[in-house]
This record gives sequence, structure tokens and C-alpha cells, in this order.
Amino acid sequence: MPSIWENYKTENAYDELMHSEFQPRAVSYNLCQYLNTLNKEDIDKRKTAAELAIMEMGITFTVYSDEGNIDRAWPFDIIPRIIDAKEWHIIERGLKQRLSALNYFISDVYDKQSFIKEGLIPGDIINSSKNFRKECIGMKPRHNVWANICGTDLVRDRDGMMYVLEDNLRVPSGVSYMLENRVITKRVFPELLQDINILPIDDYPTQLLEMLSSIAPNQNGRPQIAVLTPGIYNSAYFEHAYLAQQMGAQLVEGCDLMVDDDDCVYMRTIEGPEKVDVIYRRIDDDFLDPEVFRKDSVLGVPGLMRAWQAGNVALANAPGAGVADDKVVYAYVPEMIRYYLNEEPILPNVETYLCSHSEHLDYVLAHLAELVVKPANESGGYGMLVGPHSTAKEVEAFRKVILKNPRNYIAQPTLAISTSPTLCKDILEPRHIDLRPFILQGEKTFVTAGGLTRVALKKGSLVVNSSQGGGSKDTWIINREND
Amino acid sequence: MLSRSAERLYWLARYLERTENLARLVSVHMNLLMDLPKGVEMGWQQLIHINGCQEAFHEHYKLAQERNVTRFLLTDPGHRNSLFSCLSLARENIRTTRELLPDEAWEQVNELYLYTKKHLDSVSSRRMRVLFLNEILEGCQRFTGLLSGYMSHDHPYHFILLGRNIERADMTSRILDLSSLLLSESRSDEMRQYESLLWMNVLQSLNALLMYRRHVRSRIKGDDVLNYLILDSALPRSINCCLYEMADAIGKLPNHDKLPEDVADLKNFVQSIDTRQTTQLQLRNILDQLQTKLAFLHERIANNWFSAHSVDDAVIQQEQKAH
Repeated sequence: MPSIWENYKTENAYDELMHSEFQPRAVSYNLCQYLNTLNKEDIDKRKTAAELAIMEMGITFTVYSDEGNIDRAWPFDIIPRIIDAKEWHIIERGLKQRLSALNYFISDVYDKQSFIKEGLIPGDIINSSKNFRKECIGMKPRHNVWANICGTDLVRDRDGMMYVLEDNLRVPSGVSYMLENRVITKRVFPELLQDINILPIDDYPTQLLEMLSSIAPNQNGRPQIAVLTPGIYNSAYFEHAYLAQQMGAQLVEGCDLMVDDDDCVYMRTIEGPEKVDVIYRRIDDDFLDPEVFRKDSVLGVPGLMRAWQAGNVALANAPGAGVADDKVVYAYVPEMIRYYLNEEPILPNVETYLCSHSEHLDYVLAHLAELVVKPANESGGYGMLVGPHSTAKEVEAFRKVILKNPRNYIAQPTLAISTSPTLCKDILEPRHIDLRPFILQGEKTFVTAGGLTRVALKKGSLVVNSSQGGGSKDTWIINREND
Repeated sequence: MLSRSAERLYWLARYLERTENLARLVSVHMNLLMDLPKGVEMGWQQLIHINGCQEAFHEHYKLAQERNVTRFLLTDPGHRNSLFSCLSLARENIRTTRELLPDEAWEQVNELYLYTKKHLDSVSSRRMRVLFLNEILEGCQRFTGLLSGYMSHDHPYHFILLGRNIERADMTSRILDLSSLLLSESRSDEMRQYESLLWMNVLQSLNALLMYRRHVRSRIKGDDVLNYLILDSALPRSINCCLYEMADAIGKLPNHDKLPEDVADLKNFVQSIDTRQTTQLQLRNILDQLQTKLAFLHERIANNWFSAHSVDDAVIQQEQKAH
């Protein structure tokens, strides 16, 4: 019987499931045992079943190309990624700690700026951040929380340690795929899930609803909550619709909303205008309100900032929260944790060189071929240089790009990010992965049990973004105490 | 409920109803043609007439024979009223209103769409076409059934009922329009010979044959069939019944303004029809008027509840970039 484990070789990186080529880690023992009972044909059947489920459930993301938009089925690898609950609880605390500090920092930025005044971060880093919004100065969102929803990217290096790669505080996406991945796994491996003690994840929509309710301007009665989407042509539309449906909230587009003379936000309904209390907006600040930001925005709502400033509507995340979603600001998060919380950071940052800093810049330019260089403000894995995977010509071209605007670039050592067994054709091979847990902060703080594991499906690739050939896996947090 | 959502659900229901009607029409017509000798003036071109798309058809096809007509009506993506186009539009509409419907509703429409897309080529074979059409009919029925069993009968549901019934009434009037051929003074002897078979076909196109037998209990005659399909108050696809359903849905929706009166006018118009004395010409005239009135009612519904919103390329580009 040909085994799917044939020639499995852990590479020069930490493997999430395997100790060595033949020995599973304690936490993945049951899964590996089970996989051993399946032959290639069995596995192929499960894979086909998963693909069918994805097609039928319509789990898609949109890829933009010159030939038009293509709705692609979500690339899903049926072999889950596993983390021990003991380790997870530490990570969970670290994530809460981090978001809490970030929210203190954003409040401070738009208030007294004591962090800057005490010289802990250069003021011009804030002033030159394109996500710093002067319109937000003096605002006090409820619970003093600006970033209510955060997706933090974690990677594990060769030493087995989990590092924070970035904090996505603007409109992080992926949580619907995390939820749907579990639904598919339940369909594909029902017998397995029964026997292993995996922490459930499906209460996310309830937690999200509760968090959004907790920031409503008026705490009497049930608030009217809306998810504001840019529309069907946005790559994450599936997720916007999914979350609205799961929460029983209204899914609205900009054209469905209006701000009246009373500075309140209303939806256009069949019964006439209806007041909206909380908006989970999935539109960038730039497009939010043509009266304040981009004048040509047709997706936003004229007057929305006015309504928010008047305290008549809550926006999640708050406008301006993106100031902390900047890879330069990222470098200062450990310091923020010490400053605002008087605690030591639980989760370490990846060592980061700031190109705005002249000594760092010299180092970066001298070591370009070994580093990963990223623009400070892009998401989706665009516009970055992975030194060891680039040609000399690409490296030289990037050198010029950095020198043109050093403030906009940071560099990090190329991590040997961990791998996990992934089904490639009909056998398992190690592929690099990361993890994006989602953290909610309103009145209370909540962390998803696990998160979205993204996998670089191309052999050797470190880029996990779905827009660039990445896929995803179900993530299991396993409690072994009851085993 | 958002005006935009109301509009999309209404169109979702219209497009799905149109999908189902097209499938039934082609399926029944195939059966009929197997029974008729060649040369009776009831060929494939009649299906093009019913759907009022002679011009669109002749832009792309020469002969109105089986292969061309079935391709045009069922799978041609360039024809905006083909079954595949209607189903694609239904899917686009439900994709943007998923949050108002049970999960299974989206999955049902999506599955049906994927099935159709996969089997586009198979409709050229008669045997495969039968299977294909059955699958479509069953899929549409499953959708209707699961809404009636799973969905709250609230505003969104009433917009679906409204869309479904206005589309149904429209299709019934089109089928009757065609059957007026059977009343033509100049019809051939051969056609007269097969008359009851043809009337049966008309009833079957609206799933009404068995009901007719039970309720009318007479042999199948033209004027009785017409009366039954226009005026019966219990047959789901009779014009009268569709109007009744629409009146009910409208009555349950907020801000219905003068719409109940509009439907009442339409009901009066229909109830005054007496098919026993009408000539072919008179019947066609009545049906023309009926279709105009249905189109007017649609306008009134749209103006009353839906929002004017158009999507152009600039919007699409921003939607892609907005985060």
C-alpha cells in the first residue's frame, strides 16, 4: 500500500507536525496515526470531497487580472495544522497584551502624544504615516479602543519560537475562511474530529456581534449593526456577506447609507430611513467619506466622519486606527507594551531594521541579498523583496526603490518559517505556513482559538498570500490534558 | 430591509422563475413534437415566439430548428434571456443577498448554476437534454420548497413572492398568447385533428393538466382551458391566482402606497375576461393589454420600493482597491 508519507523530509525549518522524518510530535500523534490508516486513494477521495464542498458552498475569493475578475475557489489543504493548547494559551495572552498596548498607543497618538514627547518614538514617524488622520485628533471612541478587530500574523522560526510578523489593524480579512475551513474538515474527517479534543472556533460571529454591540453609542436596547462592504467586486466580498449573515446584521454598500442634517447615519429601507448605530466597515479610511478623505470615492458615505465625530455612530475599526498598522511603528510595539502596560512582551517581534534610520539603512543596503524588505504600508504581500529568492538584478532595482523613500521601507532577516505536511498531488510534502489569529477588543477582549493558517503551496516559497498562490489549512488547538 | 436588497430578491425570484419556466416549456414542447406528425404549424419556432425574442434569435441563427432553438433558449450565454443567463443572473442576485436567506438557499442556486455550467454541451443530445431539464426543474423546486420551509415569511420573503408571481403571470400570458393560434379560423385541418393534444400541451406547460381534469371534469376544449388558466382561483399558475398572491404580498409589505388599488384594477380586468365568446384576434388583444398592465405594475413596484443605483466601471475599480 503506497503511503502518503513516502519520502517525507522535514526541511531546514521547524515542522509543525513532525519531529523528524518518521516521528510525529506528541500533539500530532493521533492525526498521524489516523493518516497512516489511509492510502493514496482514500486521501484522494477526501480531497475531492473537500473541493466539491468548497465549490458548492461558494467559498471564493476574487483575483483581479487584466482579463477581468476571476472568482476562484478557495485553495484548501485538507491536512490540518496543529498547536498544543498549552502553547496556545500563552500566545493568546500575548496577543491580548499586544492589542491592548496598540490601542493605548493609538489613543495617545490622537490625544496627548506622551509616547512621542518622552522620545520613545520619533514624532515624524507618526506625522509622515499616511494612515495618521488629523481629523481624529481629540476623538474618544468607546472603551478607548480604536482597533476593535485585529488580525496578527505569526510565524515560527527555526528555533521553534513564535514571532509576530505584523499587526493588521485596518480591515484584516480571512476569518470567514478560518470558519469555513473547520466546516469542511468536519465533512471530510468526521471520524477523526470525534476522537480528538479540538477547541471549537464557531463562536466567532457571536463574539463579533457582542463586541460590536458593546461599542454602540447608545447602550439601551439592541443596536442596529451594519457591515459596510465596498461591494461584490471586492476580493473579500464573500467574507463581508458571510459575517453579516452569521451575525444577523445588515450588509450595506455606501449607496445604502446616508447622513442626515441631524448628523445621524440612516439606511435606505423599504420602510424609509432607518438609523444605524454601529458600522463594521470593510472599506479603507481613504474611501470612507468623500467629504473628508478621497473626494472621488463613490463607495463611501458623505458625512460619515461628521456622524462619527458627533458620537452618533460607532465605526469599527475607528478611522485613523491604521496609524499603528505601519511596519515602522511595528518595530516600537515591544516598547509600547513596557510603556503603557508596564509588562514585558509575551510575544517577540521579528528583528526589524528601519530604513529611515541611517545606521539601519547602511546595514540593510549592505545585506539586501539576505533580507526581506517590505513597504511600510502595503498589505497582501505586494511590493516586497525576498533577498535570498531574488536575482542580483532584482536586488539592485529594489535598492533604488528604497533609496527614493527610505521612510517607507523596513527590512527583516529572512526567517526559516515553519513547515507543515501538505498534500501535494498524492503525497505529503513540507510547505511553509504562517498563522493569522483574530483578536477582538471592545468592552472585553477575545482571541479566536487558533486562526487562519495560510500555506505557501509552491515548493520552497515563503509567500502565503492567497492573491499570490497561497492556500489555507484548518488550525487545531488541541487540549491534551484529557487524553 | 434595504431597498437594494428588496430589489435583488425580487429579481432573484423573477430570474429563477424564468429559469424554471424555460425548462418546463422546452421539456413539454419536446414531448409534444414527438407525438405530432411533421408539418403541423407547431414547430420549434413557436418557442422563440412565446419568449418574444425572434429578433435576437435571427441575429445569430438562421434556422429555427431543434438544435439552434434549444441552444439559444437554454445555453447561449450571449442571449440574455437564455436559461443559463437567467440562472447566472439569479446567482448574482442571491450572491448579494445571501445574508437574508437560509444558507442552503445560496448553496442550492450555486449548485444548480455549477451543474448547468458543466452540462452546457449536453443539451444538444435529446436524451441528455431530458436529464438536464429534469435536474433544473427539480433544483428550482427544491429552492422554492426550502424557502417555504426554512425562511421566515417576512419582508424579504414577500418580495420573493412578488417577483415569482409577476414572472409567472407574464409567462402564463405568453403561453396563452401562443395557444391563441389554436383558435385561428385559418388553422389547418391537420392542426384541428390534433387539437386536444395541443391543448393538453398548453396545460402541461403550466403543470395544470391533472388539476384541469380534476376541477373542470370535461373533455379538453379550448375555451375551457383558457378560462381555467386565466381565471381559476386555486391553480398556482393561473393568472388570477398569481394576482391574488401578489395582492397578498403587497398587502403585507410596508409603505405599499396605492399599489393594492393597482392590483385590484388588474384583477377586475382579468375577471371580466370571457373566453367563451372571444375570437383569436380579441384574445390576442386582451393578452397584449394584460402584458402591458403587468409591465406597468412592475414599474410601480420598482418606483415604490427599490432604489435607483447603477454600477459603472469606476465603482468597480474602487471596490477592488478599497482595502
